[in-house]
Amino acid sequence: MQKLGLIAGVLGVLMGGCQQPQTERPLLFWCSNNAAEITFAREFTNRWQREHPDQPLRYQPIPEGQSSEEIILASVVGKTTPDIYANMWQGSVEMYARAGVLVPLDTISGFLPFLRDRCDSSTIREITSSDGHIYQVPWKVNPIMTLCNTRLVNGPGLTGPPYTYSSYLNAGKHLTKDLNHDGYTDQWLGYTEVKAIWYQRFFNFYPLYLAASNGGSLVSREPGQPARAAFNNRHAVDVFRFLQQLYRNGYYSKERQSATRDPFLDQRIATSFTGPWQVGFLERYKDPRLQYDAWPMPVPDTHTGPVYTYGDPKNIVIFNTCPDPRAAWAFVKTLIDEPGDLRLMELTGQFPHRRNVDTDPYFSDFLRKNPKLLPFAKQTQYIRGVDNSEVIVEVFDIISQEYEACVVYDRKSPEDAIRDAAKAVDVLLMNDRGKDQASVF
Amino acid sequence: MKKLLPYWLVSPYILYFCVFIAFPVVFSVVLTFHSWNIISPMEFIGLDNYIQLVNDRLFWQALYNTLRFLVVHIPLQIVVALALAEFLNQKIRGQAFFRGAFFLPVIVSGVVVTILWQQLLGFNAGILNRGLTALSLPKIPWLEDPDIAMYAIALMATWKNVGLYVILFLVGLQTVPVQYYEAADMEGATHWQKFRYITLPMINPTIFMVVVLSTIGGFSLFIEPYIMTEGGPLNSTLSAVMYIYKQAFQYYHMGYSATLGFFFALLILGVVAIQKRYVEQEV
Repeated sequence: MQKLGLIAGVLGVLMGGCQQPQTERPLLFWCSNNAAEITFAREFTNRWQREHPDQPLRYQPIPEGQSSEEIILASVVGKTTPDIYANMWQGSVEMYARAGVLVPLDTISGFLPFLRDRCDSSTIREITSSDGHIYQVPWKVNPIMTLCNTRLVNGPGLTGPPYTYSSYLNAGKHLTKDLNHDGYTDQWLGYTEVKAIWYQRFFNFYPLYLAASNGGSLVSREPGQPARAAFNNRHAVDVFRFLQQLYRNGYYSKERQSATRDPFLDQRIATSFTGPWQVGFLERYKDPRLQYDAWPMPVPDTHTGPVYTYGDPKNIVIFNTCPDPRAAWAFVKTLIDEPGDLRLMELTGQFPHRRNVDTDPYFSDFLRKNPKLLPFAKQTQYIRGVDNSEVIVEVFDIISQEYEACVVYDRKSPEDAIRDAAKAVDVLLMNDRGKDQASVF
Repeated sequence: MKKLLPYWLVSPYILYFCVFIAFPVVFSVVLTFHSWNIISPMEFIGLDNYIQLVNDRLFWQALYNTLRFLVVHIPLQIVVALALAEFLNQKIRGQAFFRGAFFLPVIVSGVVVTILWQQLLGFNAGILNRGLTALSLPKIPWLEDPDIAMYAIALMATWKNVGLYVILFLVGLQTVPVQYYEAADMEGATHWQKFRYITLPMINPTIFMVVVLSTIGGFSLFIEPYIMTEGGPLNSTLSAVMYIYKQAFQYYHMGYSATLGFFFALLILGVVAIQKRYVEQEV
């Protein structure tokens, strides 16, 4: 018994020795692991350390893994989360918020005024959790737009972009060609991934739906009302019909093109629904004869008003393992003030999630020097993220299943596909509500 | 002390068994009665996961897809492997080369093989369809047609695994005593009669082993559809294991995924038990 007591005592001392007092350790900031964002993180961390030697902070690129979402989840489970994480997909935040692992940032003094100054009310509404708190700082966006090979899309018989559904389909008629007459199509109007993987809908159905519906929701969340599918409407049906026609007429390739050299770069496709990251890639690798520009997503012929799109927002969160959330927020503020946002644009070619990026004189020099990015900067006024729902991935997955059946394989009418998807989402949300209630009581 | 020695000696394995086998099995059975997304506390929900399983149209489709795969894969694998083993059991030139060649796909990474076959089976640019077009035959949408895709995957999986079963059959064939064949020759038996009445009964245990191994291997179908088709088109290649994986690591429905896994494990045990009963007796 005495021996056991001794062993327990030694173990206790050893384990105690391994734990540093929480307040003494530096804050840990995880950034994305692409080279430009690592440079961004290094610059700002070094500056912080120079200016705040009493509040040590170090950065680390997120550890390698299949996806950053997977790594974050593993770190939450293993309680090895960083204090600050930049590059959180907006759709994941609600799950972590409900699990109680994030700091409600609106409880930190000075957060809300800063946020109201930086973002418009629709962005603030979009990032507000179902419990009324805000757990994320809107950081950067990459609006999805229609990139067009200007030589091809302005050819004879074509009206060129921006596109309505009719003019885009007309372009398909002219641009889809068997160039060497060997029985195979060599040039398509466009290409978008046909597989039913949920996140691929960010590059076809979802931005088109946002464009057609002036930024409509997929899930409704009226106060006091149960959540429901909000996409069983003519906009979604029109989008499915439009995409179905593109495949039915052979204007889009059903065969996988992404495994080969980039088809837009190779001029095998004339248009592409993509984000501003493609500009940097094209500028580096393009043939000098390739001319291109970006326009808003195609819209229904009767569409009026601005053209919205998916903004692919990535945000910053502070985990509740952070010993000093105030210091963490003070550091985050340096990343997202005007100089921080400008540096983000310069280093990464991505846009800050703030109002008036395109007209703010602070950023005008950068945009003048990078004219290919200007359409994306203008588009940042009209973007949406995803609805704040814990089951948003499953919502996209359900839509993807119907997308495949209707759009790619033409086995269902757009009306049936959208109705069935909405029905399945309603069942899903009902089950989710059931779980909520069970956990409350 | 001497009495305790055997227990000390086996204790590492017992510890290993408890930590890595017994605990996970018990924990996953417990999980089937809970809802858990890893990061939130586990919540007891009774039989809800089992009720969901019964009503889950996609799971039953995934199970049907897996059975469709097995129905093609197992007989094809046995027939091809047995034919190749018979061929390699003869005294032929380059025997060692052929044995190595047939076994090669088994040791190549499944991911590499799958990507290679993806290129072969492509609709427009795939080598197989290029060949068909050169012969003025219509192209086949190997991976694009929901009615064909699973069979294309079964074909590929057979090519990948057949080498292993060729070796097993070869070993089985070489255990058949030569005297039986000599006696049959004296009686004037044909080649088919010798195969039917001597070879097949004598290699019955090998056949049973191959059936069991390929059944279990077939039930765990994952890499091929995951890489080649992501379960599509129209969920026609979504296998049961892939669906279990999706529930766990895409949606984080750990409880439901454990329920599916538990049910699936029982199903495999049942099928193998039935096979043991009938295959061993009837061949």
